[in-house]
Parts: sequence; structure tokens; C-alpha cells
Amino acid sequence: MKLEGEHVFNGPREAVWEMFYDPEVLASALPGTQKLEMVAENEYEGAMNVRIGPVSGSFTGKLVISDVVEPESCTLTVDGRGTPGFAKGVGRVQFIDQGDGTTLLKYEGEMNIGGSLASVGQRMIDSVAKTMIRQAFEVLDKALEARLAAKASGSEVVDFKPPSETEFAAAVAKDMAGGLTKIPEVRLLMYIIPLVAVLVLLAVLFRGCSG
Amino acid sequence: MAQTVKINVTVNGRQYEREVEPRLLLSDFIRHDLGLTGTHVGCEHGLCGACTILMDGEAVRSCTIFAVQADGHEIQTVESLGTPEKLHPLQEAFIEKHALQCGFCTPGFLMTILDYLGDNPNPTEEEIREAIDGNFCRCTGYFNIIEAVKLAAEKMASH
Amino acid sequence: MAGKFVHQSIKRIEDPELITANVQFLDDINLPGMLHAAFKRSDYAHARIKSIDVSEARKLPGVIGVYTAEDFGDYVKPGPLQVPPPTAIKGATYVARTTMPIAKDKVRYAGEPVAIVIAESRYIAEDACDLIYVDYEPLEAVVDLEKALQPGSPLVHDDLPSNEAGHVRQERGSWEQAVKEADLIIKRKFFINRNAGAAMENRGIIVQWDKQAKQMTIWCGTQSVIALRNQTAARLGLFESQVRVITPNTGGGFGPKINTSLPDDVLITYLAMKLERPIKWFEDRRENFLATTSERDQVHYCEIAVKRDGTIVGLKDFFYHNTGAYNPYMMTVPLNSQTHTVTNYRVPNFLTEFYVVFTNQMIVTPVRGAGRQYGVFVMERMLDAAAKELGMSPVEIRRKNLLPANAYPYYTSIIGQDFVEGVLDSGDYPTAFEKTLELIEYDKFVNEVQPKLRAEGRKVGIGVACFSEGTGVGPYEGARVTVGGNGKVVVTTGYTSQGQAHYTTFAQIVADQLGVDVKDVKVITGDTGYFGWGAGTFASRGITVAGTATHLAAQKVRQKALKLASKILEAPEEELELADGVVRVADIPSKFISLGELAIIANPMRGTMEPGAEPGLEAVAYYGPPYGATGAGAVGLILEVDPETMQVSLEKMAFVHDCGTPVNPMVVDGQIHGGIQMGIGDAFYEELIYDENGQLVTASFMDYLFPQATDMPKKLVLGHMETPSPLNPLGIKGVGEAGAIPIPSVFTQAVENALQDTGVEFDRDTLSPSRIFTYVQQAKGA
Repeated sequence: MKLEGEHVFNGPREAVWEMFYDPEVLASALPGTQKLEMVAENEYEGAMNVRIGPVSGSFTGKLVISDVVEPESCTLTVDGRGTPGFAKGVGRVQFIDQGDGTTLLKYEGEMNIGGSLASVGQRMIDSVAKTMIRQAFEVLDKALEARLAAKASGSEVVDFKPPSETEFAAAVAKDMAGGLTKIPEVRLLMYIIPLVAVLVLLAVLFRGCSG
Repeated sequence: MAQTVKINVTVNGRQYEREVEPRLLLSDFIRHDLGLTGTHVGCEHGLCGACTILMDGEAVRSCTIFAVQADGHEIQTVESLGTPEKLHPLQEAFIEKHALQCGFCTPGFLMTILDYLGDNPNPTEEEIREAIDGNFCRCTGYFNIIEAVKLAAEKMASH
Repeated sequence: MAGKFVHQSIKRIEDPELITANVQFLDDINLPGMLHAAFKRSDYAHARIKSIDVSEARKLPGVIGVYTAEDFGDYVKPGPLQVPPPTAIKGATYVARTTMPIAKDKVRYAGEPVAIVIAESRYIAEDACDLIYVDYEPLEAVVDLEKALQPGSPLVHDDLPSNEAGHVRQERGSWEQAVKEADLIIKRKFFINRNAGAAMENRGIIVQWDKQAKQMTIWCGTQSVIALRNQTAARLGLFESQVRVITPNTGGGFGPKINTSLPDDVLITYLAMKLERPIKWFEDRRENFLATTSERDQVHYCEIAVKRDGTIVGLKDFFYHNTGAYNPYMMTVPLNSQTHTVTNYRVPNFLTEFYVVFTNQMIVTPVRGAGRQYGVFVMERMLDAAAKELGMSPVEIRRKNLLPANAYPYYTSIIGQDFVEGVLDSGDYPTAFEKTLELIEYDKFVNEVQPKLRAEGRKVGIGVACFSEGTGVGPYEGARVTVGGNGKVVVTTGYTSQGQAHYTTFAQIVADQLGVDVKDVKVITGDTGYFGWGAGTFASRGITVAGTATHLAAQKVRQKALKLASKILEAPEEELELADGVVRVADIPSKFISLGELAIIANPMRGTMEPGAEPGLEAVAYYGPPYGATGAGAVGLILEVDPETMQVSLEKMAFVHDCGTPVNPMVVDGQIHGGIQMGIGDAFYEELIYDENGQLVTASFMDYLFPQATDMPKKLVLGHMETPSPLNPLGIKGVGEAGAIPIPSVFTQAVENALQDTGVEFDRDTLSPSRIFTYVQQAKGA
């Protein structure tokens, strides 16, 4: 499947680039990541827990950063395998200085999945992947904010607490359900139900009074 | 030895007390722990309906319920309906209308219909179709099953 | 041909036990000390196996053993062919790459087993599978049929020069000549997709090895007990008599259960002997979609040569057929497509050619219809295309070309799956067609109903299609009929049952011959302990071949009974009759002897017997037809397409079929109903989809859409015809697959008719709302 999109970061390009090269930040962006450690220059190995619909399990994988043009662009290659199957992807990431203190990150890539993930999780993969990326960006936004604040105040400690796995999962679920409330019928129901409840309550009260 | 939980389940009027793993599916519990193999497993993801049983009188899919969730509840399976010598009117209707061929999906249909006719004893053909829409059959094409439900409704109404 | 029981809709004898759950299906059987198996399956469609680490899995408590190809040594090798190669067809070429029981060095389809776990419970066995780590070197997957044959394509089998698994070309008359004579040549391309058998009961096997008695017992819902027994015995170095294969009640077969020498029966029989404990394996639904055989996937390039008045001069069909990663079933499916392309119509010149292609997908073996529906689809769609060009109606062009009722026996010159020339034994297609038009009220719909509804903006359509079904093919089946001392009868046969009412229909045949009540005939099928000869349940041959063998055996017993009774009652045989469980003098019914008594007398404990006499009232008979019997019929369908959602609702279907003498009309109708469900699935819902990496992305009922009660036509009318088959004494033809065969053809025609104003034409056999939408947009844009 194809993955593409963009995101605006509130920070200079160098800071954003630096953040991406910090394995701890990357790991925190996707909770469920058990570890992510550098094994060679531009090569990381990691392990993470994945849950997509009825399919769940742990993955181990390799992340390789190549075609590095600092701080403009790079290519990420991911090769993960685990009990739920495998996931292989290549993506090109671009960091564009918007000139106003913000950075536009553009990504474009392809992901191949196999095993149970593909055979049973197919209908969910697309939306879950997009939601996970969206949530990851939110985490990274906060991480960037904390880093810039620390830099500004000159402190060594970055005041950033990544969300727990459950918090992340909840956020992903909320995000996906949020799509539901955009459907007019569902919106309508959300007005009707409280209205009906009020009417029923009134009816009960009146009956009680006339009794 | 894996962790186990003690559960108390009433099945077809009989009380059972067992130690089960939390992850044991209700369908496996009924079939293998209790030896009531009339309930069948067709897909294990809650779509085909072959594993349908009644839990506290409501039709449920036993393959997507854990045995521990049945603790303290009343289960009814196909074995409670009848014997070859004394068939339930629903079973008689099925035989009369040739509504079963391999018989694998049939217990699920019987329990679904039992629950449904209890709530709606005089359904139209369209209502019957909708009621059994959650049960898959590969052999009969459903045509004779629909006829069997009509006949069963008649038989059960006159009881 | 009717008797007291044959041709009657007798209620099924097996039903009271079946419906009260008083029977056993495979997974209901639990043996003391039984272990459970689970397979670790490949996630990759095409990859080299670099290493397999089972150390952690082996340590899991409750795991008895974890095995890979290495652990089996020489035992693991490609299995035997399931059907013989097509040497009878001139010029046919083929290679055989049969199923590997477990992957060695390389995996060729996603889902291929790479390891097997034996544990105390199924839960633990599946846990252990998660602890097996396989290091794969992924390879490029072969998925596109045409690209697979181009030079430079990755090879599914490295030792072969290409992915070509076979090639067959058959011609009747001359296509070249047809081109010269024709007024018009119309060309089309069609895509046929893959479907699963999807029986409600998944596959499984239980194996028990008795070390002392040196006896193996296998329980398996197989469609061929004899093949399973023989192949297992050969592999393990046992006598056939040391292996007993029993079919418990089986929850549907539909084709995939015919296969033997599969990973499960090959490995689990071996391990049951080695571990000296019974082992059970029962597949889950995802495994069934992923790793049980499925069928189809063809690309057809067709040309039809016609005259201006609609007469067919010739047809050419060139197609690619996907066989998946291995081809143990050789060419049965594409041969069926070839033989059924022109079996309803007069087509003087016919050229049919196919290439079988290896791909990194699941193996293809027959599923109900077994390729017949694609021959029919090609013909019906080409007729529709020609009709469109010529400005004729679909009805007119069919009337013009249907084989007349006096055409039989009709020699087709095309060799089929039984390796003999297909001969149409009997039939009356024009009457079947006219009857269908009557039942669907074709003229009324087209002239009155449709215009009215169309004026209201409703997209209603009608379609009609004809079909034939080759059934009852050889080689043979056999049966033994035995009268017991209690006067009741036992019938045993090697044939197997998956719900087709054999326990009743075979009993009907015997009851008619022996004058007993049908309920007093017990039928035992699919147990090699009782009967060890037969080919298997496939190609709708049960009632025709096994039924006829049963009839012949019953006749022999009847003769024995009459001969013996004649002596005892001192009356000539011609004056005797068999009725009510006795043999009696027809005019003096008080002068009788019960069959039970006769049976006992026929087996003397002492004394002498007449030379040549056989003990008891028992006989065995075999029947093998020279070629198959051909059933046929036609179908009409009225449907409505929602113009916004493109959802299709089936309003009315009229299905006329002719299967010769129906032994049990109620059962015949049931078979057609079931076939229709699968045909509708084929036409509109079911599709096994593989992505470009050979990954199956529809491995659950969430994605593989299974037709439900509300998907069936609101109104179904069945019409019956009987042109008996001259090939067997009862005049029977098979009917098991009839319902499934013509549906994709009539469905696409009807949807095109409903959306006639858009000019849309479909080139695939499986539609869906989104597909209809896309095609309509393209048609509008064109």
C-alpha cells in the first residue's frame, strides 16, 4: 500500500532533523516499541508490539536510513518480521524549511505486508497505518516543543513524557472513531438521543405528577 | 501449568463446576470439556453462526465468548431440543422440508431460530430471511430452511 | 423409471440422528492420550528458507515435538499425482510438480507449512508456532498468469525452464475454415477469478497407530478414502489392509476434501507411528482459506465466428489457467472448461487451447463446477456479444444454435477429464430452454414489466443462459449388498458422503430391488474396513456410478434370493415376487419365506453346497461407464440494480434441469439449491484475492463474502425434465454441480441488461457494486 502525506513542525529544520536521529524520540513516537538501538551508523534494530484489529504480536526489525542529504532528505527502509507476519517498507522523507521558523515534512513511500496481518487485517491496515502516523506526529510535536524549550532555557533535561501504550492506543481509537462522528446520520443521532432522553424523563415526571 | 479459574455454568439444566484457562473459548469448553459436541465451530471469528447457542435465552456466538464469561449463566445447546425418538417441532420441520444436508450448520440455525420464534412466533418470509442472515449454509442455499421455519412456526403455534 | 422408492421424495433416513447431534463429525472425536498438531506456515509467497529456529518452541511446556523438513529426512518428498497425466490427448505437454508435505529450502506459496508442532492441546500447539523463528530470504513472487510465462520471470520451480506446467490444444473441424466462412468475427477477453470451496466444516484428520496390532486407523472427512488409504500404506511400507480410513459425518466437501498426500495426512500419519499416540489436526478458517486448495483463475481470449443470421460457424478459446505452486491435480479443471464450452450448441468448428501456469499461490484443485462453468461462461458471453453486434436478442441467438433433441448421442471430439472423447448421451436442450423462458415469464417481462419499471427509473434486467454438466464419469465404483439374518439389508461402498443423502438414495435403489422397506436398508459409505475399492466422490458421480453399482449388486442378490426361494417354495422363479421383506408366490402370498430366513439358509453351517454357489444373500458389483452422462438445463434470472449503490437484488430465478431419472426428487432439488448459492457467490460475492506479492488478503469471512439468506433470489422456481441416460439401467445422471454452473453467465447478462442504457459490458465472472460502478463509469466515458 502507498503511504504519503505531510506535516508542519513548529521548529527550525535542524532541530527537527536532529530529533529524527534520536532513537529515543523515534521509539517514543510509536509506543509499543520495546527497544530501538543503533547498531551501526544509520542502522537501527528494534522490537515492537503491534495490534491491528484481531491481529497482534511482536515484531523485530531493522531500520536503515540512507541517501542522507543533511538536513534536507533521507530514505527510510524498514524490514520487520514477527508472529503476525511481516512488514517491509521504503519511504522518502523530505524536510523543507518554510522560511517562517516552521519545517514542512513530506513523506512518500510504499509498504508491503504479509502473513496474518495481510490475510486478516487487510481492511484495517490502511486506516490504522494513517492513524498511527497521525498520532506519531502529535507525539513528535510535543517532543519537539520540549526539546526547543529545554534548549531555550539552557537545561539538559528535556521535559517530555511520551504517552504509554494504552494512552496511545486510546488516542488511535478515538481518532478512528472521530471519523465516525463526521457522518451526518451519526451526528444527528448524537442530538436525537439526548433529546429523546429528556422527553422520556419529562414524560415520566408528568406521569408521576398526575398519579 | 497455566493459570485457571473456577467457573459454574448451567448447561441444558445441569450444573457444571470446572477449572478453566481464562482464554478457553466457550465453544471449546462446551464441546471438549463438557463433551457436548452438537455445537459446531465453523470460523472462530463470529461470522458463520455454526456455534450459536442460547445464553440466558438469547442467541450468542460461543466462539467469540470465553468460558469464564459464562460463569453464573445458563446455557442451552442443541442437545436440549430433542432425541431421534422425540424430535422438537423445529427439528421435525427441518426434516420434513429437507432443510439440512451435511448437518454441520444446522445446530446453529436451530438455536438462532428457537430464540427468534420465541420473540416473533408468526414471521413473514422476509423476516425469516433477515433472522437467519447471520447463519451460513453451504449445502442448502437456504431455500428449504426458510420453508422449514415457516412450518415450524405453524407447528409451534398449535402447541 | 420409477419403483416403490426410486423416484420418490423419501425423507432422509439419516436426519433424525443428524439433527439431534447424535452423530460425530471429525472434531467431535477425542481419543485417550490424543495429541494435537499445528502448522507453522510461511508468511511469504516465495522465499528461500535460510534457517528455522525451533529451540524455544520445543521448550514450551506441553509441547511433545517440533519438526521441520530436516527431521523427516527422505520421507519428505513430492507426493504422488492425484490424477494421471493427459497422455490420451495428442500433443499435450505437461510437467508434474506435486505437493511437498513440508517446505524444504524454499516456500512457494503463502501458507506453505515450514514446521509442524505436536502438543498436548491445540492451544499450546498454536502458542508454540509463535515461538518458531524462520529466517527467510524473500524472492519475487509470480502472480500474473501472462507475465509468468514471459522470459525473465522468476521461477516457481527452479529446476524447470519456465513456469509452464502444461499445454493442451484440441480442435474439432477447422477454426481457420470457420474464419473464412463467417460474416463476422467478434473478439473478447475474460477474467475468471478464484473461489474457495468454503465448506462449513474445515479440514482435519485423526490418526491412531496400534503398535501391537500394527494397525493404523485414520479418521478424515476425505472425499476419497481409498486413495488416502493406498497412498498412506505405500508411503509407510504397510499393507493396504493395515490402514483403515473412516469418514465420520462430514460437513460438506465441494472438492477440496478430495485431495490426499497433503501436508496433514503425510506428516501426521508418520508422527502418529513415531510418537505412538493418536494425533488430531483440525484446521481453522483462516488456514482453510490460506492453505486448503481452491479453484480457478483463468484469462480467456475468445473469438466467435458467426453468420449474419446468428448461426455459429466456429469458436476459438485460448486461455491461461492458474495451477498455483504445485499441480498434483494435473489438468482436470481446464479440461472441464474445454469440454463444456460447446456442449449446448451446434459449433461445427471449435479450437480450444490452454496453458497451465505455475504461480506462487495456493494449489488449484476442483471446487464445485470444477472449471465447467468457465467453458459455459465463455460460450454464453460470446453469444451475448454476438447477439449485441447482430442486433439479435439473447433468446433468438440461443434458439438458433441449441443442439436439437435428436442430436444424441453426440460426439464432441474433445477429450475430457476422464481421458475419453466427450459424448453427450441424451438431452433436450431446446425444451429446457423454452421451459425456462416460460417459467421466468420472459416475454411478459421484456414487453410489459421491464418497460414500465424502466420508465419509473428502475434498473431491472433479465438474463437467460443454458448449460450442461458432465457427470458420472469413470473409472468405476463398487458396492456390496448383504441381507442379514434379521432380514434387513446392509449396503457398503467405497464412495464417500458429505451430506448428499447417499444413506437414503442408495437405500431406495436397494429397497426397490429387494422388496424391503427403505428404512430397513443401512448404508455404510467411506470406510475402507468395509469396502476397499473405488475412486472417490467427485464430478457428480455418486448416484450415477456408485448408485448403479449398488443397483447391480442388489439385482444379483435378488437373483440369488429368487433362485433359492424357488427351491424352497417349490415354485418357478417367474411366479415369485419380493415384497414386504419376504419372497412369496405372487398369487399365493401365504406361501412365503422371509429374506432373513433365506439369508440364514443360504449360509449352511455343515453339509455341502452346490458347485459354484456362493454363501449368503450377498453380492458385489462394479460399474464403470464408457463415458460420463451429461445433465443439462437452463436458467433465467430477473434482478434489479440500485442505480446509486450498484447493489444487486435478485428478484426471481427459474432453473430448469435435467438429470435423467431423479432417484429422490427432493434431494435433487436440494443439490440444485446448494449449487445456486455457490453460483451466486461466484457471480457476485466470493473472491480470493492475492496481492502483487502473492499475499492472500481475503482469509476470513470478513473479507471473503459468503452468500447469506438475504442474498438468494426472492423467488425460485425449479423446472424438471427427464431424459434418461442410456448408459445405466436406471437412466440416472448426476446433478451435484448443476446449480453452480450457469449462474455467473446469467448474472452478468442480467446486470448488463439492467444497465443497458449505459452500454456497459463486463469482462469478468465476478461482479461487485464497486466493480459495476467502475465499469459503468468507463462505459459512459468511452
